[in-house]
Amino acid sequence: MIYPRFHYIPSRLRSRLRLLTTLLLLALLGLAIFGLNAYNKEPLYHSQSYVFGTLVDISIYGEPDERARLLSNQILQDFQSLHHQLHAWKPISENQPSELGALNHAFSQGKTPVSISPQLAEMLTDATNFSVKSHGLFNPAIGHLISTWGFQRDEFSVVNIDDDKIKALVKNKPSMTDIVIKNNKAYSNNVSVKLDLGGYAKGYALDMAADYLRKQQVKNALINIGGNIIALGQHGKKPWRVGIQHPRQPSAIATLDLPDGWAIGTSGDYQRYFTQNGKRYCHIIDPRTGYPVEHTQAVTVLISPQTHTGVLSDVASKPIFIETAENKAQAAATFGVKNWMVIDQKSNILVSKAMAQKLHWLDTNVKFATQP
Amino acid sequence: MLNLPHNLKHAIKTLRLGDWLIVAGSIIVIIYLFQTLWSSEHATKVQIRLGDKIYATYTLNQQRDVHVHGPIGTAVINIAQGRARFSKSPCHNQYCVHQGWLTRAGQAAICLPNQISLELIGENKPYDSLNY
Repeated sequence: MIYPRFHYIPSRLRSRLRLLTTLLLLALLGLAIFGLNAYNKEPLYHSQSYVFGTLVDISIYGEPDERARLLSNQILQDFQSLHHQLHAWKPISENQPSELGALNHAFSQGKTPVSISPQLAEMLTDATNFSVKSHGLFNPAIGHLISTWGFQRDEFSVVNIDDDKIKALVKNKPSMTDIVIKNNKAYSNNVSVKLDLGGYAKGYALDMAADYLRKQQVKNALINIGGNIIALGQHGKKPWRVGIQHPRQPSAIATLDLPDGWAIGTSGDYQRYFTQNGKRYCHIIDPRTGYPVEHTQAVTVLISPQTHTGVLSDVASKPIFIETAENKAQAAATFGVKNWMVIDQKSNILVSKAMAQKLHWLDTNVKFATQP
Repeated sequence: MLNLPHNLKHAIKTLRLGDWLIVAGSIIVIIYLFQTLWSSEHATKVQIRLGDKIYATYTLNQQRDVHVHGPIGTAVINIAQGRARFSKSPCHNQYCVHQGWLTRAGQAAICLPNQISLELIGENKPYDSLNY
């Protein structure tokens, strides 16, 4: 190799040339660092919004920023209209109730069938199947109970607990099977049925968003609606990773990788609750007793890809939450859920065997039991 | 005895193009390794979001009260000694205030009624999204 030594050039110019060479190299170096930084910047779009009465967090990987922004805005708009359609207690405007509100009003008036959208008809049929499967523990027909406990409001405060009223509401046995749907018309055989799809709608919205993104050929995305998450593809070369909230601390208790098509959902007593005389009353009500569940802090379910992955991530945690400790594993099995974690009121952690292999505990001193 | 500055000057003067390339190459490699390997889960900043916008990002290495005007009123966010918290909020339930101090990267406190959230940011995020 012969390096340029500039010996054929007058010495006066030689030093200038050296300076030039150095400057050129420095410029190249700068360019290289700039290039590396650009290379290091991930093609990750992230947005956070308050729709659906909760926080919606969308990550899209590997799409141009502008396209990702448009896609995510479309999803948010769809969520917003679904929210208006299914809102259990807020009318769209003063004279126009939500579709669900109108249906609930008709149910309370008697057996006159009212027209509902094919979409709502499909949801109600689906929710009824889940309700039957859970032996009524997942019961979206107990809107009157939920409202009595003050959980059909934007903010929860102490309510006067009216034991007689609760007893009466339970005795009326509102059930999803009271609802009759035919040719997109619906009526209820029981006037005490009041629908509240709070335990279903977020999961439905997850499936809707995932379907939309797949149709738009988006390979990699992570959608989080108020804590329920579904994954598409992965985060670059690694799977999407989610944290599971600790029910009593402001941090995650564990993380796990959410593979393509999987969803995760948690039911907890720490998001919607009020305390009265030092006692916590959470929003998850046992339809058999009419009272909030007290024995459990949180139930997390991990759902493998299937037709209603998102819905199942929302629905399946409820019966497990409501069932007593000895019946929880059975409640999970009813929905074919193999991966679950239960944290009881004494903060004891019970994890299914399959789930134990997937969790990465953030606190390495954590104590947990495994259910075979 | 050795005259270092002179030797150094002399050394630099006699460097050839190839030498410079090696020097430049090494610097690039060092910077690359520094960027990829030097990371920790230590929180260094707090990101405050209001609605769907990032309101501000502050370093945790300061003492400061941040007043954020949300849809239902003004929340006060405390930054001190590498930590951050909601110290005052106009919301009814005060869940956000009860969350207390956030100390580690990835920790977050959300005030749904007032649409304000805090998230601690470090070099490395322990997860992409939080299930709750």
